[in-house]
Amino acid sequence: MNNLKNKVQLIGRIGTDIETRKFDSGNLKASFRMATSENFKDAQGNKQEVTQWHNIIAWGKLAEILEKYTQKGSEIMLEGKLVYRMWETKEGEKKYITEIETRDLRLMGSAPKTEAGAIVIAPAIETNDDGLPF
Amino acid sequence: MYALKNKVQLVGNIGNAPEIKEIAGGKKVANFSLATNEVWKDANGEKQTETQWHRLVAWGKLAELIEKYTSKGSEIMIEGKLINRSYVDKNNETKYITEVEVRELMLMGGNPQNKVA
Repeated sequence: MNNLKNKVQLIGRIGTDIETRKFDSGNLKASFRMATSENFKDAQGNKQEVTQWHNIIAWGKLAEILEKYTQKGSEIMLEGKLVYRMWETKEGEKKYITEIETRDLRLMGSAPKTEAGAIVIAPAIETNDDGLPF
Repeated sequence: MYALKNKVQLVGNIGNAPEIKEIAGGKKVANFSLATNEVWKDANGEKQTETQWHRLVAWGKLAELIEKYTSKGSEIMIEGKLINRSYVDKNNETKYITEVEVRELMLMGGNPQNKVA
């Protein structure tokens, strides 16, 4: 029931490097920012794009998956919950931050991370000479 | 499609009397806060509750519904999208806030005002 009461679903691209932090308890936390974009036509018929940047965190197994299989630019889909917290800077200033705590994750699209960090490009599909695609 | 890319669903109680403003052209905007409670049992079997306070904004027809049918304490369910924006305050400081813009609204349960009366 808690899942129904506070649920966020986002589809977009990771916009920063995945920052991971290991706690003494052995729990791993990953944090990064993610962009979702919306395209629409304005009153003059011009294409407009609005991008929202979200702060995302993930724990444990999900953090491991993110660290291992995603990088800046990866397209992902996630479900999570909205969490708000407050922290103080060294100067004693109160800062408020909104985060989405990941509950479920799906990797989308292509461009997986190889060991060398290079992007794998699928070979072009060969077509027959007669031009038919089969 | 955009409803899939950036989607928030919340069920909770309104935390303050919704603030309704009318902007140029007669369009209304409602600003209010919503509390969602997460309840679980800790290792000792004791009930724990964690409350998150969300900042919500509704436009047009939705703002009118909020104004007419809800008040502090009303239980509602919403679907919307996350908006992160910044503004400059009186001290010339840039502030960042996150809001949920309501796309769908459902009134739930009873109205606490009626119950008390």
